[in-house]
Amino acid sequence: MPRSIDPLIVGKVIGDVIDTFVPRVDMAIHYSTRQVTNGCQLKPSATAQAPEIQLSDKSGDNNYYTLVMTDPDAPSPSEPSLREWLHWIVTDIPGNSGGSETNTGFPWLSEQATSTSSSGRELVPYIGPRPPIGIHRYIFVLFKQPSQSFLISPPAARNNFSTRNFAAYYGLGLPVAATYCNSQKEPASRNR
Amino acid sequence: MAMAVTSAFSMAALNAALPSGVSSQSRSAGVSLHAATGVSVRRTASVVVRSMLTSTKAAGFQVFNGLRNENALQLRNGASFDVMGLGISNGSKWFAMRHGRKIHRLGRPADQRRALLRGLTTEILRHGRIKTTRARATAMRKYVDHMITLAKGGSPHQRRQALGFLYDKQLVHSLFAEVPERYGERNGGYTRIIRTMPRKGDNAPMAFIELV
Repeated sequence: MPRSIDPLIVGKVIGDVIDTFVPRVDMAIHYSTRQVTNGCQLKPSATAQAPEIQLSDKSGDNNYYTLVMTDPDAPSPSEPSLREWLHWIVTDIPGNSGGSETNTGFPWLSEQATSTSSSGRELVPYIGPRPPIGIHRYIFVLFKQPSQSFLISPPAARNNFSTRNFAAYYGLGLPVAATYCNSQKEPASRNR
Repeated sequence: MAMAVTSAFSMAALNAALPSGVSSQSRSAGVSLHAATGVSVRRTASVVVRSMLTSTKAAGFQVFNGLRNENALQLRNGASFDVMGLGISNGSKWFAMRHGRKIHRLGRPADQRRALLRGLTTEILRHGRIKTTRARATAMRKYVDHMITLAKGGSPHQRRQALGFLYDKQLVHSLFAEVPERYGERNGGYTRIIRTMPRKGDNAPMAFIELV
């Protein structure tokens, strides 16, 4: 279990945004064809649209999950005065959304290709990464909802958001999955 | 009595043997020999015999002193001194003061010095502000400014140069991403040194060095 959260510790996600947790759910996030792996570098143009989320809940219960996407390095990693900047909140994601090939092992059987936009409720609309200065981390944190009838009011402002406080306020507890990617402003001219 | 006879004999033989130009000098030499002991007079007699044989060939022969070492006893004099002593004048290799020498040696050999400075610049670029001794802080300034200048340039070659100096690859990439915005208008002088209280263990003068 520590092995799967080592990149999060190295990237200081655990510490800045969330606390040490035990991953219980496999989460895969795809921007069109690119999957978000810990610490991968994505261009802001590739992340303009909301990604697809695939969960595979091993416990088998009918759980629902909440996904939070934040940027702890706003506006600049060395001076994060707006830490964290909220990009996206999706609630009521079913435990096995998006289909998962690992369940059956027969790719032609798992035809249920349901995207998240239909299987989750977008509480805070998606805004793609637009880092002004430096290399920013964009962190996806998944929480398990305590009960299905779960009322969350969207936060008042996107800046100075705190994932910890958000989870504590709504009783979400520790995360069940987390991943992050890096992004930096695309320079106007690539070769100098 | 015997001395007088031998000296008279040698004088006449000397005058005949030596070349004409030098004869006056030899006469004076003979006079000085006359005042010497009997041993020296006999030595000159034997010399005279030899010179009689060779003088016929070497007409107009001048005495050559060029190769003779005038310091044959090898006494030490000021010209050969290059160590501390009373004989040093300007032009020797060693000076008692440090005028114009600009390298901060930091009490280490060259390889350790370079490693120390690389580590210190990595740390200040990572944390923004560190506390070290004053000597290290003043030594670091040049290298921190150099790294920031490379990042302001931003070309792939400069990035490679920075990667060769700093110990943290991810730090170099984040440096190159941030520095142009942060230090775009500032021309040089990217660090500030603030002196603080001495260290307790060895009373070393300490300083904070931070990125401006």
